[in-house]
Amino acid sequence: MRSKFLFVCGLLLTTMVLAVPVAAQDCTAESPCVLDALIGFTDHRLEWAKDRAVEFGEMFPQFEVVIHEFSDYEPLLDSYILAQEQGDPPAIMQLFEVGTQFAIDSGYFKPASEIIGDRTEVMGQAVDFDDIIPVVSSYYTIGGQWSSVAWNTSTPILYANQNILDMVGIEELPETWQGVEEACAQLQPLVDDGTITGCIVWPNHGWFYEQWLAQQNTELVNNGNGRDARPTQVLLSSEASINIVQWHQDMYQAGYYAYSGVQRDWPGTVQAFNAQQLPFIMTSSASAGGIMMNAADNDMEVRTGMMVYDADVGWTGNILGGATMWITDGLGEEIEDAAMAFLLFFSNTENSASWHQTSGYVPVRNSSVALLEEQGWYEANPNFLTASIQLGDSQVTIATQGAIFGTFVETRNIITQAIEDAMLLGGDVAAILAEAEEEANVLLEEYNLLYVDE
Amino acid sequence: MFVVSPLILLALAALVGGGGSAWLFRRAAGAETTIRLLPWSFLNERREDGLTAFGAALGGSAAIVGALIFLGPLNFCPFALDDDGQADSLNVLMGMILFVVGALLVHTLVMRLALRWLRKERLLGALETRPGLFRGPSAWLIATVFLAPTIGILGIFLYYPMFDTFLLSTKLARLGAPRTRFVCMRNFNQLLSDADYGRTVLVSFFLAVLIVLFSLSLSLLIAQMVYRPMKGGRIYRTLLVWPYALSPVIAGIVFQLLFHNTAGVLNHMIDTLFGFKIDWLLRPDIAPWTVVLASTWNIMGFCILFYIAGLQNVPQDLLEAAAIDGANAFQRFFRITFPLLSPITFFLVVTTTTYAFFDSYGLIDFLTAGGPVEATTTMMYEVFEVGVEARNLGSAAARSLLLFTVVIGVTIMQFRFSQGRVTYGN
Amino acid sequence: MATELIRQPVVERRKRPWHKRIPERWYAHVILIVAIIIMGFPVYYAGVVATQTNTQVFNYQLTPSKYLSRNWDLVVNQRQLPRFMLNSVIVAVVMTTGKAILSLLAGMAFVFFRIPGKWLVFGFVLITLMMPTEVMAIALFRLVGIQLQWGGYQAMIVPFIASATATFLFRQHFASIPSELSEAAQIDGANPLQFLWKVLIPISWNAIAALFVIQFLYAWNQYLWPLMVVQETALKPVQVGLRTLVSGTETGDSFGPLMLGAVMASIPPLLVFIFLQKQFMSGFALTRDK
Repeated sequence: MRSKFLFVCGLLLTTMVLAVPVAAQDCTAESPCVLDALIGFTDHRLEWAKDRAVEFGEMFPQFEVVIHEFSDYEPLLDSYILAQEQGDPPAIMQLFEVGTQFAIDSGYFKPASEIIGDRTEVMGQAVDFDDIIPVVSSYYTIGGQWSSVAWNTSTPILYANQNILDMVGIEELPETWQGVEEACAQLQPLVDDGTITGCIVWPNHGWFYEQWLAQQNTELVNNGNGRDARPTQVLLSSEASINIVQWHQDMYQAGYYAYSGVQRDWPGTVQAFNAQQLPFIMTSSASAGGIMMNAADNDMEVRTGMMVYDADVGWTGNILGGATMWITDGLGEEIEDAAMAFLLFFSNTENSASWHQTSGYVPVRNSSVALLEEQGWYEANPNFLTASIQLGDSQVTIATQGAIFGTFVETRNIITQAIEDAMLLGGDVAAILAEAEEEANVLLEEYNLLYVDE
Repeated sequence: MFVVSPLILLALAALVGGGGSAWLFRRAAGAETTIRLLPWSFLNERREDGLTAFGAALGGSAAIVGALIFLGPLNFCPFALDDDGQADSLNVLMGMILFVVGALLVHTLVMRLALRWLRKERLLGALETRPGLFRGPSAWLIATVFLAPTIGILGIFLYYPMFDTFLLSTKLARLGAPRTRFVCMRNFNQLLSDADYGRTVLVSFFLAVLIVLFSLSLSLLIAQMVYRPMKGGRIYRTLLVWPYALSPVIAGIVFQLLFHNTAGVLNHMIDTLFGFKIDWLLRPDIAPWTVVLASTWNIMGFCILFYIAGLQNVPQDLLEAAAIDGANAFQRFFRITFPLLSPITFFLVVTTTTYAFFDSYGLIDFLTAGGPVEATTTMMYEVFEVGVEARNLGSAAARSLLLFTVVIGVTIMQFRFSQGRVTYGN
Repeated sequence: MATELIRQPVVERRKRPWHKRIPERWYAHVILIVAIIIMGFPVYYAGVVATQTNTQVFNYQLTPSKYLSRNWDLVVNQRQLPRFMLNSVIVAVVMTTGKAILSLLAGMAFVFFRIPGKWLVFGFVLITLMMPTEVMAIALFRLVGIQLQWGGYQAMIVPFIASATATFLFRQHFASIPSELSEAAQIDGANPLQFLWKVLIPISWNAIAALFVIQFLYAWNQYLWPLMVVQETALKPVQVGLRTLVSGTETGDSFGPLMLGAVMASIPPLLVFIFLQKQFMSGFALTRDK
């Protein structure tokens, strides 16, 4: 009677599950309070964060920080919002820069400044926000207040596999779109004979579009890129915008851009570069750690350069990208302080420096930069300096400060889709962008109806 | 301000509904000899006229109530003029549909009950006379206790969300937003005037038709070969049907590997053998076929299983007799076997359609994520994309309701074609 | 959504002359073997890739390699696949058992009791066949996730624990039982509960087993709903948990671990399917659940 047995087992299990124990507890070393933290990494960067969580647990055994990994920022945000609406939000979440306005509007989070008050340390962890590098502090302070704790900051750079470039005798890394096209033309024989599968790749992701927009000193939304007042229009039909998407289309149609067919394919593109399928990749400076590790393992010579720009328009600067750590509102003072203490520990001078060395993210503290210089890190690893130079050389304009608006996340997806349409379907770029602009504007209008008080 | 005053609409409903019922009642009064006396004596003096008047009143009010069930909560907004005094024709059309459907629904229901009552039948149906039924108050209590959990859960977790979907579809609502706004038919209007949504509907039907065609024809072919007792028949059958046990998610993962743009081993084989490659996942005109291929692989085993069972029930003497009469194999198949299999074919059409519309979600999510260029975004996939990823609850609810009309269509088709073979209720 | 009653197939081996009974058409065997290879290849290759590194996948290697333990470490130790599988087992078993109990009771009430307005109650249940949960997933999430604030096993199990099709299955099954049985039970003075426990359940094990197999597969394969409603990593079922392996990491391997996870997640339903094929057929022959 196999089925009878199954039935009885099931009955027992049902009873067990339905009698879920509910326990409330004080935070003690024996039964520590759990702080859930959502993080958008799954690789060695996740391991780094988990190690810090363990160290924090050793310092404060009454707390246990549990890191939950996500493959990307978007699913992380989706999951956080769902958890928040379900009434069981995690204490800490990593939120990418474009979510800033939404995070403020949502009312889910408690600003860092408010948690800290006028304290100079929380549970022994020093608060020293003056130490944060200016480009970061200007992006993330809103109304003079710190909304969140800065952690990972990056910018896209160009990586090149010199082993492949040597086959066709390319010495200098391209700096412009035009330079890339020339190099790709030179590399075409290698594609034709199957040595490599393409010339260059970057994830199809609105982030790159935004960077190129800033390079051309063009704003993404009206009202001073959303910094003077709430924006009412998304500007996707600008000349610079059409220029960018047109270049995507040209590069794809020429067979130079090797599209994986997957949007936001951060890991896939790097895996292809690491497997020596392509000589060039443009991706976040935060991939430097992984790419250099792989290069060392496989005797690849990898060089880096700044993100390429359109020589016909010139280069104004790049926007910072990355994410900061936000603390959920309504946790209760004890947990809130523990979360803050963890984040302060997480981003202190030593940890910021080690984080940079692990990942390639720009160190967010002046003291960390000083520490790294002292150790001679940059001399030994010049590829890790590229991102800092690119951000440091950028002119500060309204465009390069980056846009702020509530539907940035969704708009980014619309742009990504428009670029895919332009590449795979061909057709008139201006028309594709006009349609995308309309869609983005409807979303923004709806958002303002629901979130903005009249 | 309204295009048509709600009062005129209600009057129209009363007129048509009342007229229809008056005619129905008069006919009933004429045709049937035993018919209930009306409770109000003045209506009984001239029976036919009394009944007609009663029918008119009842039908008229039923139609009014019916017209109100959808339009009442909406405050007749589809017929409202906007700030510029303009009417939106799409809105009005949608309003008319709600008006007619609501009125028809309630009117039909009330008429059915009323005629039953007139014929002196019990409104709730005759009590069963089957022997061996438990009776008495304690049995009644036990029956209630037995039924309560099922009824309760279906009510709470199916009926209520259905109702909530209707409400949501008339709102501008975002998950986590501090407020919602009533927008009447705007969510539907946006969809009906959106070419992308039209494409999504097309993609859904395209995939469904192809998946049904492929999986049914291929599985019938294979079943034809293995249904007879043969050496190793059991092993063949098991080895042919097992992919059905795998979830669509697994199918999506496995085929994503096979069809991968750069690492796909299938392209490598094709390239080695024939010297060309197919952009399985990169070309918008090919990707839907890739989804069809993977889905067919996933669901074919199920169809084979049923066709084998069906074929084993086809009387062999019939086929042998036909063979003696000189019918060739094709004639035998199309004249005898296939018609005999039609109940199973029909069942499989319904199951496979369900798979294509709903279960394929997991497969698409892992295989193409709805791409490239939304070429494999089905209606179901879009509900999730809009409702969960973009958090636009109102629009997602509207999409759900349009998807729901497809379900109703399939169900009606199912009832139509399977009449006489389905034994549901009493 | 589809409920179609199909007569249980009668596998009848008709006596025919030996040369007709085994039509040794060699080409049929060839076609079948080719079909089996084509059907099996995707999963065979997935199993092979489970033992490989990305570089080997990029080189289209068709034979197993030696990196199984490395992929295993990632899948089992770092990404908690066993935990996800345990969640799936719990959800599948509890949901299936609950469904069996509730529909058994409801089916009995419909057949063996005199209820005024039975058709109305029955209609209430019947109409839900037209209401697939996928269609109202958004609203269901608002109810279960936001209003009730469920996010774990309850959220995955409770909304699905009653089922119209399972109720029909038992109703159909009970209706085929001769009424003398319940008459005799009543004459013996058995109350409905005793009748259920002593008579109905013992003669219904086949129907229960059939339901169990179908519902187990249904529950195991659920994807969309848990994806929406379960946010806590430790409570995710395996179909959703596989997402943590998708596209891997920038530095690590992506294909091997994902394929290993896929193969592991396929084993329980395959075992259930292969060993309980007969019950599966007889169950599905009666009903197909949403």
